[in-house]
Amino acid sequence: MYIGNEMNRIDALDKVLGRPVYAEDLSAKGALFGCIFRSTRPHAFIRRIDTRAAMASPGIVKVLSCHDIPGENLFGIIKKDQPYLAQDRVRCIGEPVLIVLGETEEAARKALQLIEVEYEDAEVVSDPFLSEDSTALIHDKGNLLSRRKVIKGDIEKGFKEADVIVEHTYSTSWLDHAFMETESGVGYPDSKGRIVVISSTQNIHYKQKEISRLLAVPEEKIKVVQATTGGGFGGKLDVTVEGFIALSVHHTRRPVVMRFTREESFLSNTKRHPLYIEYKTGARKDGIITAVKVGITGDTGPFASYGETVCLRAALHATGPYEVPNVHVDSRMFYTNNPVSGAMRGFGIPQLAFAHESQMDEVALMLKMDPFDIRMMNALKKGSLTATSQVLQNSVGIIETLRKVEPYWRKRSKKEDRAGFGLGCMYYGIGNTGVSNPANACLNITGDGKIALHTGACEIGQGSDTTLVQILQETLGLKIEDIVLVRGDTDTSKDAGSSSASRQTYISGGAVFDAALKMRQYLDEKGFYKGRPIREIYASEADKKLLEHNGFFDPPTTPVDPETSKGSPYATYAFATHMTEVEVEPETGCCTVKRVYAAHDVGRAINLKNVRGQIYGGIAMGVGFALMEEFVPGKSESFDNYYMPTSMDMPDVEVFVVEDREPTGPFGAKGVGEPALIPQAASIVNAIKDATGVRPFELPCHIERLKMLLEKAKG
Amino acid sequence: MKIVSFALNGKKVSCEVQDRELLLHALRERFSIKSVKEGCGIGECGTCTVLIDNEPHYSCLTLASKVDGHDVKTVEYLGDAGLLHPLQKAFIEAGAVQCGYCTPGMLLSAYSLLMKNENPSDSEIREAISGNLCRCTGYIQIVEAIRDAAGLCKCKP
Repeated sequence: MYIGNEMNRIDALDKVLGRPVYAEDLSAKGALFGCIFRSTRPHAFIRRIDTRAAMASPGIVKVLSCHDIPGENLFGIIKKDQPYLAQDRVRCIGEPVLIVLGETEEAARKALQLIEVEYEDAEVVSDPFLSEDSTALIHDKGNLLSRRKVIKGDIEKGFKEADVIVEHTYSTSWLDHAFMETESGVGYPDSKGRIVVISSTQNIHYKQKEISRLLAVPEEKIKVVQATTGGGFGGKLDVTVEGFIALSVHHTRRPVVMRFTREESFLSNTKRHPLYIEYKTGARKDGIITAVKVGITGDTGPFASYGETVCLRAALHATGPYEVPNVHVDSRMFYTNNPVSGAMRGFGIPQLAFAHESQMDEVALMLKMDPFDIRMMNALKKGSLTATSQVLQNSVGIIETLRKVEPYWRKRSKKEDRAGFGLGCMYYGIGNTGVSNPANACLNITGDGKIALHTGACEIGQGSDTTLVQILQETLGLKIEDIVLVRGDTDTSKDAGSSSASRQTYISGGAVFDAALKMRQYLDEKGFYKGRPIREIYASEADKKLLEHNGFFDPPTTPVDPETSKGSPYATYAFATHMTEVEVEPETGCCTVKRVYAAHDVGRAINLKNVRGQIYGGIAMGVGFALMEEFVPGKSESFDNYYMPTSMDMPDVEVFVVEDREPTGPFGAKGVGEPALIPQAASIVNAIKDATGVRPFELPCHIERLKMLLEKAKG
Repeated sequence: MKIVSFALNGKKVSCEVQDRELLLHALRERFSIKSVKEGCGIGECGTCTVLIDNEPHYSCLTLASKVDGHDVKTVEYLGDAGLLHPLQKAFIEAGAVQCGYCTPGMLLSAYSLLMKNENPSDSEIREAISGNLCRCTGYIQIVEAIRDAAGLCKCKP
């Protein structure tokens, strides 16, 4: 009754009235403004820093360096190798060196100009392929961050069995998250002697832990609150402003505000990893894929961030949503002095989808098969073994998503020569990879007769608040008026993990469901479902602790064994097929995306409107990834030279929701946030090939690149 | 410093502004209108959109002193919780809101369009909001919302 519908988002009313408070809208009396002095060198030793003129500048209160850090200067989600403030040397352009605190933003920004740093340039590693053997070490243990292999069957035998072999190299570039709200936050000391940070973030509990390490104080001394957040897409998972703010409050005991300009955001925020993908596919005459060999080389910049995750996830998903008996994937992630790359919607899999979907079309072409049929023939189904030999037992909807677009594919017809049609398929493991990644949720009955849901899950625009409330409503049979959501505060919630990896509906949803079942049993015993009001139950309960029920869910996974490559790294997978129609103007190389049919197996759509919203948004990002978005270091500074899709670039979209229910998910739900994006660029590239006969191997395939390819093809 | 007088959301206001002060900052700091957002500061993203004499303008590129004698509207003009404007209602119903950061500017560009064109085509709608970037929604539900509101709307000044 409360799920599977088109319920309006619970935060929409406030948002259309312009009322939500984003971090930048918070002001604290007497707040200082903090800004960051950043490196202008890709790799250099710091010989001298002179802050005297800056300190003497009007309105400057303090300048902080790495020497002012009482605890650990290094942070990172997996490997703690990134300094908050550079120590002795800088390893990329934009690396923070100093924090300048002024009475006003103007004073602080002016003082930045007065800081003098003398650098001694070091050898720069700008290419991941040269990184491994470079004598310039970015970290003491070498420049290889991570190497993951996935091996299944016998690759040589697989290629021997093949009648055709297709081999190509694909590459992608840096992309910016370009969330509309830049990184921002406010901090202050509270009356209990703690430091409070309110920021734009995707994960409050992780940030609480990092700040406690930075300041060498217990976690209880730090409180992190999520302000209304203007988009994340992975870019607000790493510590952005939070550490700087906490350190500044620690030293000044005054409120501190920070907000990155757009230019600063482009310069300093993590990027999508550029990947170089060498891909070899073998197939029999009848279309069955016999072998896939993939080499992946990635550039994570000077710090790990989510580089290991991308290295691993890219490897695990390299074969695409197909059953391949013989697999050899070798994925390597290198440190360089390029921009720091991190988590961005899909963790390397959109890049891999570009490769495996291009390969599928090329194999089909050699075999004179229809690209649809070859996908259908090889698609994963119940009982299939993935590349890690995980047996897929439930909720394997890839074939159903193919069937949804099949009628449109079969009846496609080119009205003009310049038109083209392409398919893109994907699968995506929901949640973190082969590790425990639980969520907590807590319910309690309030004195005014409501059920309060306490969750640490961060609403970043994707709609998790609404989804979690709907799951609660459905389980308890309660109207929205009877529910209070208390969210995004480390004081009132236990860890729900990050809003990333398309995990909140499935995992936090599971935790809410777990708590709600316990609450339902309690309410039932107390006569609620026979008409006794909640308020009365509250009043009659002597032990108020009984009014509270905790929920927990941790998806059942096993890590992938580095030796055998076997494991079940994800408890469930989402599946999708996109079919895209494009038009390419041969005179200019301009590609217009006309129409997309997008079919997604989400397990169960808790909220159809939100699911569609995620898919439309993912398609927009996929259009950008395929055709226009490219962060060029030193060149891309803001939206005037980083192009992302506007309303004029959006195709018409038809969405098909497939609900192959996941037994471990709340009401069968999985996730859709990242799956929405993953197959889109791939389907555009295949459509470009169909329209022009030319295949792009490098993304973005922007107007100049496509024009060049068209000219080359003419000979 | 200069005194400027203008209509802000239908009310006459005046205040002292600095010569180089941007309308964006004057609205946020002097009038506490925080719905006007600074997404880029260079007139590319549209989150700072306001209506000046019912035409959309980037307030990050507009000097506060230039609105003297003019009519300025922000999203607060459209409606309140008790009486939503049809556009606001349609944005909620269509799912046109995700993170919400672009929403006020988007609504104002839409409002300005419907004032001039009561029955716009989809391509006219897309064009009207093409100066407002949104990273979350892919624009489709926003276009739907504007189309849905068009018939119901009295977007007269």
